[in-house]
Amino acid sequence: MSDADAGLSLIVDDVHVKYRTYGGRRRTADSGPPTRRSRLAQHVGAVDSVHAVRGVSFTAEHGESIGLIGHNGSGKSTLLRAIAGAVPTAGGAVYTSGTASLLGVSGALMKNLSGERNVTLGALALGLTPAQVDEQRDEIIEFAGIGEFADLPMKAYSSGMSARLRFAISTAARPDILMIDEALATGDAAFKKRSQQRIDEIREHAGTVLLVSHSMSTIRRSCDRALWMDHGRLLQDGPVDEVVDSYLESQA
Amino acid sequence: MSAPSPSAPLVEEVAQQPSRNQGAAALAAQHGLTRIGGRPRLSAYLKDLWQRRHFALKLGSSRAYARNQDSFLGQLWAVLTPLLWAGVYLFVFGVLLKTDRGVENFAGFLVIGVFLFRFTASSISAGAKAITGNSSLISSLQFPRALLPIAVVVAEFVALLPELVVLAALVLVTGEPVRVQWLLLLVAVGLQLLFSLGVAFIVARAVAEIRDVGNLIPFVIRALMYVSGVFFSIDHYAGGGLLGDILTHNPMAIYLELGRASLLEGQSVGLDIWAWGAGFAVVTLVGGFLYFWHGEEKYGRV
Repeated sequence: MSDADAGLSLIVDDVHVKYRTYGGRRRTADSGPPTRRSRLAQHVGAVDSVHAVRGVSFTAEHGESIGLIGHNGSGKSTLLRAIAGAVPTAGGAVYTSGTASLLGVSGALMKNLSGERNVTLGALALGLTPAQVDEQRDEIIEFAGIGEFADLPMKAYSSGMSARLRFAISTAARPDILMIDEALATGDAAFKKRSQQRIDEIREHAGTVLLVSHSMSTIRRSCDRALWMDHGRLLQDGPVDEVVDSYLESQA
Repeated sequence: MSAPSPSAPLVEEVAQQPSRNQGAAALAAQHGLTRIGGRPRLSAYLKDLWQRRHFALKLGSSRAYARNQDSFLGQLWAVLTPLLWAGVYLFVFGVLLKTDRGVENFAGFLVIGVFLFRFTASSISAGAKAITGNSSLISSLQFPRALLPIAVVVAEFVALLPELVVLAALVLVTGEPVRVQWLLLLVAVGLQLLFSLGVAFIVARAVAEIRDVGNLIPFVIRALMYVSGVFFSIDHYAGGGLLGDILTHNPMAIYLELGRASLLEGQSVGLDIWAWGAGFAVVTLVGGFLYFWHGEEKYGRV
């Protein structure tokens, strides 16, 4: 982080992501009308491979906030997972300056356990040490604004409360690259404001923020640059207003 | 495509180069960036694993805790469940079927067998789902995936601890004297733990690669239960010859024998059985871990 002013924090170089899925197979147009064999393949050997990201390249700088836009299934979320190192790439490479964390600690949390226990579990999952967890536990609970619900199991939480808790835990690690997947859509106005502050704070500490959202107003408000993805490819990369405008035009 | 951001031209530049990987790698080196993903070297992997050990321990113990938390009696079930199992098995095999031929303290013999076997059997069946059952955790966070099978075995071990307390109480009630040898139980369980972890590593990767392996695991566990002498003395039923030797030297039979010899005065084993137990533990753990680590870069894809 010696050249934090102008330095790159992230290089995504010709990244491809494929994943395997069990339980069904696609019927493509060129495979013709369904035969007995292709119908059978829905029940036995129903494994298919999806090429979700097809050669995406871009770079990001310290302190930059980048929005990812595109229709459902364009590969935005999968790309974030690949940058976080959670999903292996089928081709290409990702280089980062430090920890890249996806705002997606929910996989580590357990609905039967209290919010407080989940804070410990989630923070450890993000790579914090037990000492750091003890230090930050109260702050995380306070930021989430769950109050006395901290001792109740998470299954008793409203969807807004659990979304706030997840956001609070995920950002506690202060990652170098924070990736947010549609998280700001939840929560009330006051929490939206606080989470925006938290994101700004991360950017000020030379972090990079990548945000996936279908809300163009959120993208315009939070980001200064946008990437438009379509069918796993990068269609446009530029200043946020320019890219959002052409995206909206294409939708009209 | 406009290029207002200073980084945008770099994208173009990288994309136009035929040897783009080298260009990106050089750029990354220039800015001090490191490549992520792929399989780390074994030493780096072990180091990473050690640094993140608290997560595996917390995840495992939280799972064991959450299992009982969903009821009024809550954590009391950690003790009640093994007590009830002991009652059921004693009734069926001690009173109804009378498989106690050739066994001195059958109550102790049976309950040790049931609890120790449950530990490994649950470790294997939960270990088989360690990767495939945690896809949301895997696809959102980056950590050495070996933590997941470890967490599975930790959870089963945490469940075993109250069972061992119940076991000690029961063995005392049946008139066994307290002996220094009881401490050997910790060694026996320790070896069994390492063995179970090794198997958990193996099945976790095998099921991640070919899901259908998971469908076979219940049958393997059931077969193992009947050939390891959980409910009866294997020596008494196995007979002699090669088949008898194989039956009495399968890893589970060995660990049950070691556990029984530690707690029960009437059961004793030679050093050779301890050597077998240690051998199975080391070979399975090392082999299982290497096999699991070798598939590290693939786990996010399922």
